[in-house]
Amino acid sequence: MLRGWMGRLLRVDLTRERVTRETLPATLLYRYIGGRGIGARLLFDEVGPETGALTAGNKLIFAVGPLTGTKVPTAGRYSLTTKSPLTGTGFESNAGGFWGVGLKKCGFDVLVIEGRASRPIYVVIRDDHVMIKDAGALWGRLVGETTTRLKQAEGKGALVSCIGPAGENLVKMAAIVNDGNRALGRGGVGAVMGSKNLKAIVVRGTRPVPVADRDQLDYMVYQTDKRLKANPVTSQGLPEFGTAVLVNLFNELGVFPVRNFQASVFDQAEQISGEMVAEHLTISRQGCFRCPIKCSRVVSIPAGTGAGPEYETIWSFGADCGVADLTVIAEANFLCNDYGLDPISTGATLACAMELAQRGLLKSPVRFGRAENFKAVLRSIAYREGIGDALAEGSRHLARSVGAEEYAMQVKGLELPAYDPRGLQGMGLAFATANRGGCHLQAYLVGLEVLGIPKLVDRFAQAGKAGLTIYCQNINAAMDTLALCRFIGLAVGEEYFARLLTAVTGETYQPQDLHTIGERIWNLERLYNLREGFSARDDTLPSRLLTEPVAAGPSRGATVGLAAMLAEYYRCRGWDADGVPAPEKLGALGLSGEGSGENA
Amino acid sequence: MLKEFQQIGRDLFLAGLNNSHSGNMSIRMGDRIIITRRGAQLGRLTARDLIETGLTKNDSRIALASTEIKVHRAIYARTAALAICHAHPPYATALSLTQTEIIPVDSEGSYFTHKIPVFGAELTIGSQEVAAVIPEILQAYKVAMLKGHGIFAVGQLLEEAYQLVSSVEHSCKILWLARQLPGGTAGSLAAKAGW
Repeated sequence: MLRGWMGRLLRVDLTRERVTRETLPATLLYRYIGGRGIGARLLFDEVGPETGALTAGNKLIFAVGPLTGTKVPTAGRYSLTTKSPLTGTGFESNAGGFWGVGLKKCGFDVLVIEGRASRPIYVVIRDDHVMIKDAGALWGRLVGETTTRLKQAEGKGALVSCIGPAGENLVKMAAIVNDGNRALGRGGVGAVMGSKNLKAIVVRGTRPVPVADRDQLDYMVYQTDKRLKANPVTSQGLPEFGTAVLVNLFNELGVFPVRNFQASVFDQAEQISGEMVAEHLTISRQGCFRCPIKCSRVVSIPAGTGAGPEYETIWSFGADCGVADLTVIAEANFLCNDYGLDPISTGATLACAMELAQRGLLKSPVRFGRAENFKAVLRSIAYREGIGDALAEGSRHLARSVGAEEYAMQVKGLELPAYDPRGLQGMGLAFATANRGGCHLQAYLVGLEVLGIPKLVDRFAQAGKAGLTIYCQNINAAMDTLALCRFIGLAVGEEYFARLLTAVTGETYQPQDLHTIGERIWNLERLYNLREGFSARDDTLPSRLLTEPVAAGPSRGATVGLAAMLAEYYRCRGWDADGVPAPEKLGALGLSGEGSGENA
Repeated sequence: MLKEFQQIGRDLFLAGLNNSHSGNMSIRMGDRIIITRRGAQLGRLTARDLIETGLTKNDSRIALASTEIKVHRAIYARTAALAICHAHPPYATALSLTQTEIIPVDSEGSYFTHKIPVFGAELTIGSQEVAAVIPEILQAYKVAMLKGHGIFAVGQLLEEAYQLVSSVEHSCKILWLARQLPGGTAGSLAAKAGW
């Protein structure tokens, strides 16, 4: 009997309006565990080569982990894997909140949505009962209103994950928003949901999660909580300032990108810092399921009250657009939540447009430092009106359309987040090699290069960064497959995760098992991308970061020395010089068939 | 200031009072605290390893500060100390496992400390419990031992706090050695020390 896992997959075919329930093979669970791992496996097996991201052939694979819904701190996340319309890669996105727990308590580890509905619909899952309902009255509505209406309609305990107008209009930066303000933000996954005419998924589950060893779980949870409370980042920095705690830290290091990465120190950073958010905007804190950190803010501004901007949003609409007005940034964040937009890609694409306009390459009223246009521009993106239609395709498409791709600060089509890798060499390698494109979370070398977790390394050094990047990519893939928040990893490491997993499932996992599972996931994701036509050519950075030295500040003179790090990275990964996993490596990971093009 | 932290941090390590990454130090400067970075090697401190943040109020640098900052702040809030040295001296830590207080039997130890209180906590690293009790002890003493963990010593100057750490460990080593000698029982040694 399985513990931790519910052991079942729910498949909803929207074309045929057919629902099936499948038993998940134990071998799949043991080898891939949950969230990101199972998502990668099913995407590879079920979404064939060159399937259009916005076609009926693409699938939305929602998955939780065995720890989800237990008392393990931060174990409330869920994962979505699909093919991204923004990058064309396989794409895993995960979110906190409560929705993932609701899905699991319906009795499912995995929900696969496939096909395309003939009209706008939403799906309701109440324990084992699944209903496909008409969403005609919801289509076109904002996220907040959709969430409120569905919670009222579906009763107490209903948890809502939905898209806003951006997803409906197939904006390639559209998010899926759960619980009103937690998001599967990146990669345009909201557009995939929109392409299926699926407005929302409502879950309402009451089933308990079976646990193998409650005493051991209680003990490990107690130990984990103690460390979360002792660590200054998880017990003070994040609770008090939220993720915006990073603004001043990164600006002081000269790695806070300004005006589309044209500079790396923002002279008005203090005005948009975590300290200023705490002092002037925050009215309360908010946490996800079983989270003692509570890094989310509730803020109040003249435009209203709602979820506060995270570090990345403060950067994307702030320093990256040359804006130092927190109120405007907070309002932009509200609008992104309500339209269902990824604030990182949206702000970064706007910054790209600003530079193109600055250089006379784009006719547009957008200008660095001019925040008064935000409201209109965000609406135009969500509804694909005027200039917004071009912006809705993302920065790479926008810059390419005027023959200036070099001004799109992206990797594999995904806009880079708030870290200038010229002053964080390992982060540069992590951006270039991330399977989903320009993502900071897949390796998150911030721990090593800035916070000193577990130890501080030389942020300008290139030697040895390949090994560190791989280590972090693998263990973070395992964390995503356990569906744990990245922030728990600031206080405890894989030995804790392994013992928590063992206590919940009754299966013995060692820390090294998690590294191996993470490596298996990483390689499988790589194989998917290779099958889609990606190659070593795509493992690169915008030319600005490779050739334009930082002009001023603590990172002055730096560029990313990518070539040497990348060659070392391939070697350490056990891949050939073209970035293709060697047969021996795949054999060791149990992926031999996948490497030869066979599906498992 | 960096030089002082570097010299004392190095001496603590070379004297075996800390292992490679253990211990932390701070000084109070008005309403600011300067404390070693979380995970810093005290024997090899650089400018990036000194973190300045509020004495009572957090700012973003809290994300870089030593895990023990909670205890340091509490000590400054409740005592007149201007400097704190926290280390893991092995003899003192070993004795703390079996005693509720340590009484030096050597002359210098008796002169400086008389008695070293030992406090046992469920979680000894960065915990609220330690932050509540250690400052209370340091209102009456200049040093306090955390059972099985290490020592907190305070002073006006970092060097003064360091001296206390060094002195306590020296006393504990003598105590340990004396107990190996014929007639060196805990009771007889205490009697010789006049306690």
